[in-house]
Amino acid sequence: MKIWEDLLQDIEKNIPSGTECELKMMHSKSALTRFANSQIHQNVDEESADVFLTLHKDSKTITISANLTALKNPMEFVSKAMDSLKSSPIDKGWAGLPDSSESFSGLSKIDESTPDERANKVKEFVSEGKQMNAAGYCSSYTNNYFVWNTNGLNSSDSSSSAFIDGIFRTESSAGSSHRGGILLSDIKAQQAGNEAAKLAIDGENPEDIEPGNYEVILGHEAVSTILVFLGVYGFNAKSKIDGMSPINLDEKQFDEQINLIDTPEDDDSIGFKIDASGAKKKNLEIVKDGVSKSYFHTRRTAKELNAENTFHELFGWGENFGGIGTNLKLLGGNVSREEMIKSVKKGIYINEFWYCRVLDPITQVVTGLNRNGSFLIENGKITKPIGRLRFTQSFMASLAPGNILSVGNKSRYADSEFGEGMLRVPALHLKEFNFTGGVSG
Amino acid sequence: MFSEINLSIDSAISSGAKYADARILISKSRNIAAKNGEIENLNENEKIGIGVRALVGSSWGFYSTYDLSNESLKQAGKKSFEIAKASSTVSGEELPFADIPVVEDSYTTPHDENPFSVSSSEQIDLLLSSTEKMKKLGSSRAFGRLDFWDTEKWFASSQGHKIYQNIIESGGGISSLSVGDGETQIRSYPQSFGEYRTGGWEVVKSFEFENHLERLSQESQRLLVAPQCPQGTMDLILEGSQLALQIHESVGHAIELDRILGWEAAYAGTSHLDLKKLNKHKYGSELMNIIADATLPGALATFKYDDEGTPAQRVDIVKEGIWTGVLSGRDSAAVAGVPPGGMVRADGFGRLPMVRMTNVGLLPGDSSLEEIIEATDEGVYMETNRSWSIDDLRLNFQFGCEAGWLVKNGKIIDMVKNPTYTGITPEFWGNMDMLSGEEEWIFWGTPNCGKGQPSQIGHTGHPASPARFKNTRIGVRG
Repeated sequence: MKIWEDLLQDIEKNIPSGTECELKMMHSKSALTRFANSQIHQNVDEESADVFLTLHKDSKTITISANLTALKNPMEFVSKAMDSLKSSPIDKGWAGLPDSSESFSGLSKIDESTPDERANKVKEFVSEGKQMNAAGYCSSYTNNYFVWNTNGLNSSDSSSSAFIDGIFRTESSAGSSHRGGILLSDIKAQQAGNEAAKLAIDGENPEDIEPGNYEVILGHEAVSTILVFLGVYGFNAKSKIDGMSPINLDEKQFDEQINLIDTPEDDDSIGFKIDASGAKKKNLEIVKDGVSKSYFHTRRTAKELNAENTFHELFGWGENFGGIGTNLKLLGGNVSREEMIKSVKKGIYINEFWYCRVLDPITQVVTGLNRNGSFLIENGKITKPIGRLRFTQSFMASLAPGNILSVGNKSRYADSEFGEGMLRVPALHLKEFNFTGGVSG
Repeated sequence: MFSEINLSIDSAISSGAKYADARILISKSRNIAAKNGEIENLNENEKIGIGVRALVGSSWGFYSTYDLSNESLKQAGKKSFEIAKASSTVSGEELPFADIPVVEDSYTTPHDENPFSVSSSEQIDLLLSSTEKMKKLGSSRAFGRLDFWDTEKWFASSQGHKIYQNIIESGGGISSLSVGDGETQIRSYPQSFGEYRTGGWEVVKSFEFENHLERLSQESQRLLVAPQCPQGTMDLILEGSQLALQIHESVGHAIELDRILGWEAAYAGTSHLDLKKLNKHKYGSELMNIIADATLPGALATFKYDDEGTPAQRVDIVKEGIWTGVLSGRDSAAVAGVPPGGMVRADGFGRLPMVRMTNVGLLPGDSSLEEIIEATDEGVYMETNRSWSIDDLRLNFQFGCEAGWLVKNGKIIDMVKNPTYTGITPEFWGNMDMLSGEEEWIFWGTPNCGKGQPSQIGHTGHPASPARFKNTRIGVRG
């Protein structure tokens, strides 16, 4: 890409000798078509090009960033960074730059979706709900990422992704569904619409039930939310350094049916094959038969914990956020949703969680609510839709040894309240889940 | 800049848009984070770009780019029209748009010292010394952060607006974390995630971090050995910053007109409020007077015009417990038949402006925290938010705080850990029976309000003073 080549040439010649330097650029085109009350009401498209420059000299480090327009003059940009570097404090955590052996060339041309193509996906979703009120979005992204450093690394990669997520509402209920993929053409909008519509219709006129400990079947989106929390607070090595992670490696902290891997190398994984430092990511075992096997590391966390870097640095956050697994995959089991329901004497089916927040990160006790499709299961059958319940439950305990009754046999990309889903998960059947409040508080 | 903006607007209108507006922004930010006497993050960022909005039929089309060349600006206008037009595949009734005065004006946030003119080393030193001292005082981890934003906006519309604003925001905070056996306890100042206001470096200096280091360190360690918060239904006393978040979640979001109209249904949710009950619905006790005021000097959501060019204003939201107002923009106000409230803002040039809280606050009462505690037979006083969760109608909530203080017979008798409370919005506000006065009224600021798709982060203000709530369920645990 010419804008990168020009930028790199201009910056490189202005780097003072003896200074370690890392230059990164993300060029993105993102589009999102949003619908509510069964019509498209907001339709947005953005082109961005953001540049990050990190300099390290005399044990001091500085990062400055700008988009291409704000950067104006590369010489001034480097000069500004050098001035700031002088007033920076000593950086004891500096962990160096990846070398040329980590270089990766994955740049490719990806066709962008058009507003009309996204509108057609929305139409497919909305039409499944007949007269019901539909709301949601259809989005598509193409990203090109470039990294160069003075240690000889020169990496680039391209990625694309597309999602549809929506709900149908009736007077008394709502149902939601989600699909994600690498290209918009991969997205089965009609299938998602059909699922959401069925949940909304089946969920009409819900009844309130008493809070308490229930056996639960968690749908894809609910499972995804649990894994987002464990990924950010638990397996993030920075969280461990900060004393907030419940994860202890080589301990059997989860049920033996839990097998969690990060799969950046898989062809059907969404996202880049390299991390923000430009090094190639590798598939990584996170939980094996219930045993915690690895944290997500960046250069700095690996240095601080004397561990091997797993290359999970995020673009834009620097290393302030720690290491995040962006291609988590919870391995599926062999039990269908129908078989799960048949095996429940009294329990609850939850499609999606909402507004989950941690009470204490180290215990992973989280409070949140159910929404968009919740049902009471009695004697092997769904007997009625249920209203809102509030849970206060440790997510670690929810996946603990003995609490997983079965793992679903169908996996897909699933959403969570924290953004578009890049996690592939099956449904889970849990022995206990603690609901602490009902509709009356 | 206005001539560049007009290239985009003219292009959108000549393509067929009914209305178009655009904003060019120069946004600077400086973010500094420290831990245990060392810098964890130091980043300076600058972005420049344009966002163009075109109204066609029932939909907004929006296009943004960093490229401000003349050709790109014209293309941006055309694309915003084409994107809106593509919405016609799944369209509805034509979107109405309320009239506002067409003005040419400028505004700069009043401030003493622009935070970007202050040496970053002075700002770094404040965090390094604060976190180093807390670590030495026994904190397991000591954190600090400072954030500064300097945003220049040029807004113009096809109706003739030409508005320049320079908004300067500053803030930050410090925290002491203590790690025990299978638990963590934290104390933060001025509030969790920091306190933010419009203004310059003087905002941070006014916090006087140095006077709070010992207390934070001691309290986080003391919490590890403190008894658990009692469980039951009793009086709850909330410190101002926690009450600010209570207002944000259970009032501020519920009164957003785009939510009430269903425009945010899939993601942020809707609202328990029904427009048919405006001026009738009982939101809380007679002590409850909520305003949305974008003109409060120094509050975080203070400006002169919103991102649609509507003048900043004060709107009564709840008067003596009765719901009287909403947060609105030009389109949502026209749909609902209310005056546009000047409450539409965007997170940068790359995002579509949307209904956002301004300074949504609870007007002070005539009591004081001291009097409230003296008047309480049995209850818990809770300080500083730690967790928050509320349903998508903004009814069923549960909050956790960093520290609790057991109150018996008018006196604080012990510190308690893991304090939580839960409730239902109208019942909870209906139980507010004591409210502190103007001397304890603080313009709390929330710099991390998420809403919209693509996701936007909003900066909102919440003036509040401590208050008491009778018969509240306290001490929910997992």
